[in-house]
Amino acid sequence: MEPTLSPAGYAALTILLLPLAAAVIALVCPRRDPESTANRSIGAIALGFVLSLGLFAFTGDKPQEANFNWLSVGDLHVAFGLLLDPLSKLMLLIVTGVGLMIHIYSRGYLHGDRSYSRYFASLSLFTFSMLGIVLANNLFMMFVFWELVGVSSYLLIGFWFEKGSAADAAKKAFLTNRVGDFGFILGIILTWAALGSVNFTELAGSVELGGRLADKAAGFSVLAEPLGKIFNSTGWWIIHPNVLVTLVGLLLFMGAMGKSAQFPLHVWLPDAMEGPTPVSALIHAATMVAAGVFMLCRIFFLLNIPGSHALEFIAWIGGFTALLAALMALQQNDIKRILAYSTLSQLGYMVMAVGLHAPGPAMFHLTTHAAFKALLFLGAGSVIYACHHEQDIWKMGGLRETMPRTWWTFRWGTLALCGVWPFAGFFSKDAILASALEHNNIPLFVLGVFVAGLTTFYMSRLVLVAFCGQARSESAGHAHESPGVMTWPLVVLAVPTLLAGAWGIDAYIAKALPSEHPPHDGGFVDNLFAPFNHNILAAVFGLLAVVAGYKLARALYANAASDPLPGKIGFLANLARDRFYFDELYGWFISVTQETLAKVADWMDRWIIAGLLVRGTHGTTELVGRVLRLAQTGSLQTYAFLFAAGVVLVLAWQLVLNSPAH
Amino acid sequence: MNASLIVLELAVVLLGLVVLVLDWFTPAQDRRTLGYGAALGIGVVLLYSFFAFDGRDPLYAFGNAYVLDGLALWFKRFFLIAALLVLIMATEFSNRFETGQSEFFALTLFALAGMMFAASANDFMLLFVSLELITVTFYVLVSFLRRRVDSLEAGVKYLILGALSSGFLVYGIALVFGAAGTMNFNELADKLTNNAALSHKSLLTTGVLLVLVGLGFKMAAVPFQIWAPDVYQGSPTPTTAFLSVGSKAAGVVLLMRLLGTAIPDLAFTLERLLMVMAGATIFYGSLCAIPQRNLKRLLGYSSIASAGYLLLGFAVMNRAGSSAILYYLAGYLFTVLAAFTVIAVVVQQAGEEDISALAGLSQRSPLLASSLTLAMVSLAGIPPLAGFFGKFLLLKAVIAEGIRWHAYYWLFAVAVVGVLISLYYYFNVIRAIYWSKGATDLTPIAVSLPTKFVLGVCIVGMFWLGLNPDGALEMAVEAVKVLKLAS
Repeated sequence: MEPTLSPAGYAALTILLLPLAAAVIALVCPRRDPESTANRSIGAIALGFVLSLGLFAFTGDKPQEANFNWLSVGDLHVAFGLLLDPLSKLMLLIVTGVGLMIHIYSRGYLHGDRSYSRYFASLSLFTFSMLGIVLANNLFMMFVFWELVGVSSYLLIGFWFEKGSAADAAKKAFLTNRVGDFGFILGIILTWAALGSVNFTELAGSVELGGRLADKAAGFSVLAEPLGKIFNSTGWWIIHPNVLVTLVGLLLFMGAMGKSAQFPLHVWLPDAMEGPTPVSALIHAATMVAAGVFMLCRIFFLLNIPGSHALEFIAWIGGFTALLAALMALQQNDIKRILAYSTLSQLGYMVMAVGLHAPGPAMFHLTTHAAFKALLFLGAGSVIYACHHEQDIWKMGGLRETMPRTWWTFRWGTLALCGVWPFAGFFSKDAILASALEHNNIPLFVLGVFVAGLTTFYMSRLVLVAFCGQARSESAGHAHESPGVMTWPLVVLAVPTLLAGAWGIDAYIAKALPSEHPPHDGGFVDNLFAPFNHNILAAVFGLLAVVAGYKLARALYANAASDPLPGKIGFLANLARDRFYFDELYGWFISVTQETLAKVADWMDRWIIAGLLVRGTHGTTELVGRVLRLAQTGSLQTYAFLFAAGVVLVLAWQLVLNSPAH
Repeated sequence: MNASLIVLELAVVLLGLVVLVLDWFTPAQDRRTLGYGAALGIGVVLLYSFFAFDGRDPLYAFGNAYVLDGLALWFKRFFLIAALLVLIMATEFSNRFETGQSEFFALTLFALAGMMFAASANDFMLLFVSLELITVTFYVLVSFLRRRVDSLEAGVKYLILGALSSGFLVYGIALVFGAAGTMNFNELADKLTNNAALSHKSLLTTGVLLVLVGLGFKMAAVPFQIWAPDVYQGSPTPTTAFLSVGSKAAGVVLLMRLLGTAIPDLAFTLERLLMVMAGATIFYGSLCAIPQRNLKRLLGYSSIASAGYLLLGFAVMNRAGSSAILYYLAGYLFTVLAAFTVIAVVVQQAGEEDISALAGLSQRSPLLASSLTLAMVSLAGIPPLAGFFGKFLLLKAVIAEGIRWHAYYWLFAVAVVGVLISLYYYFNVIRAIYWSKGATDLTPIAVSLPTKFVLGVCIVGMFWLGLNPDGALEMAVEAVKVLKLAS
């Protein structure tokens, strides 16, 4: 296939490859000049952002594709292809825009670190991988970049690998993601087997065709038959196409479960806070964890095939994660961990929205969340930086006086996260709650509202304890505002935090993800009040929850010296603090299963493989080698003799043993 | 009669003569520039080959003795690239030649001309002459370090064994001529097709077998491999590199012409012989390499094993096998030259050729260490490098034949076992680079710009062929179309 690239395609390719170039240069000549490494990385992503803006502004909404044939094995054709549609263009803006701020911020935050250039190399590698997921036009390419994101996040979480906890956290993140990715690749293979393609456009086409031909489950019913036969011959069961479709949906969802840290694979995200704070902002707030939700939106048509029940499951997993994480956040004292759990909780919202047949609101929330959560993380980083790497909120306090710029931006971020009108978070969260109502899913609606209250509660707790009141430690007392390279990104991010809700992003998304009630863009002021016109119930309940949460938090934490909650609810508070013992449970499970398995494997390895096979084979091979080498005496006479003998041998073989029959 | 077809060969020979003449006017300290100049000249010839010929229709010259077709052109370019890289390597190496740097360059060019003639041989006479041109120049190149005993010893061994094999070869040619009455490949093929009785003549078979002996010697295939380790070890490193790439490929292209053009109707009777030779060569090379500590000797055995893999492609006797051979050779070129370039530098620094000389290389020069690692990984046949895809194609061709005759499954098994064994000694080298303890000398090695260029070309080549096989494979498939083989 000849690569045919439009100017837009070239721009997209440039956006993708610039960070890779920056990473490769940093890798090939490390340590030469850390500053210039940082500048190259920042330059790469800045240029990417400008190009993304251009793409956003000047290319139409019609999806464009560019393909380079990369691999053909039998029926499987894998192209290296780029897909530019509203979905990927929006995501490009998020990744490069938020990423740019974080790159700049990192310059200040990691200034003077020994491995400054390694940091920026990894950051650029990550950006490249993330952009690859965004631009991929087929499942296989997405999977490749999916894994690259895994690798680069491993490098970044474990950036301070001298610290045991950071190295462990990196490993944990990587391994947990691997569990999800295993499901993901199985899902991809099954999708390919059923529909004969991995390209998104072609897949969507065949699903649509299936719908028109009254073959509801598209190619899956064709695949179900042979698969059913395999199982049927062993007398297990007959596979109904609907079961297969659901199964594929769930397997694909497993990938999102890992990357977007959904229950039960959520355990890696809080630990990942061991990485540098800008990394937490980039990877664990704005981009990498969003990849799962983005992927679900990308393949929404696969999950939405009639007969599939995957979405119901997804909705409940999302809702449950949102609730669980919000509860855990109530009793955390580490400023970054609170934010980490809140990220989990918000991701739960997004996944729930996908499950409620509302990928549009999910992407909307993803967008606003990327801005305000990055702001919150960077603000937290600024606080941590000012307090000499103190992360316990109970050792802070009074920071509103000493860090004015961090304070007001952080407050805006909090308001957006809680969902206060007119901040961006209100609009996207409202859209999700409204879609729960529209589907008459009252349990999930109630859950969503309750989680909104919890969110306000724990975020108010964080703000009241860390920023208000009196300084509770020496380092907090001596804190002063961070340098401009760190605070200016906060200010820049504060703009979308306030305004993004009414920019008409939801209407833009609707061009790529058709929904039942497409939101329309009626201008800024009109959008500002749209939620109240659209579904007043959701908006009112959402705001009530915020008020309730704030009142409660204020009553408990205004000027509190220590946390009064454990005294009041005791057992439950401990449960929340200890994260419902999931880590312990997993630890126990792994120690039981894996340790046993490891012991068996060790025995096999020690005695059967190493003892019998390797040493036995090695010994024999080596012996043969030495014997054969005896022929290699170095004596010319012997060589000539062996040569002539060889000639005789060849002649004898061919003329005597293998001569034709007559 | 179309003498303009040999313009590439003429240019190379002329280049060699120019180097010799300029040598008189060049002061001793500037002679290196002659090497670079020669390399540049080869580059020009290489570029010219793309403009001058497309190789779509076979063109004949000198009474059909010389053919210029896709296959010939492919191999000519192959030899040109190899010689270009070898010349740069030799120039870097040349301060070790106490006398006559320019002679070394000129002889390399003459050998190159021989190889290019071999690529076009369509007649037993040209086959013999071009082969002798290669061999005779190599006699000198092998013993070029004339004050070093092992270089001289290698030269003498190569001379005597080479003469022996040439003797068999020329005897074989005489027998073929005696049986068939022609020297030309096409005419021989026609006679075999029209005269079934001819193909049963033992005289002809014997002659073909003796020609096979001569070519087997060039390729270092069992049972004619015995010279390779000693000669590889004793020769100057650039010679070894050229020997293992160029000389071997010359044997390959001639064998390809012999089986595919001259005796296509007879070739299938050799199937079993070639299978046995392939298996034995793979085993011999792989097994003997295991206890090796000398780097060049190790690569000598590795080169024998590679000859075995190449023979797999001949054993299956079809187009898929032949195009796989070309692909394998292309990967082999970059891989082996990268390895020898690194070894040349390391040996020059350490003064010894033992594997232990590699200790600490990863700290002394990351570029050399990673180049050698990539070369070893590629030789071992691990994706995504060129060596993997070459072996993959060859093994695929073998297994496809298994449907016709189950013995191919056994051949496949042998080859796979050979690959597994080879992992052991290739990774031994990598282990020595990165994990050997007690590296005493950790002074950084300065890598000169031309060496960096050679390594860069080789690394790019290895990755390009491994990651993007389509284009190169298509070229190989095109090139072997001229052979009269089953597709």
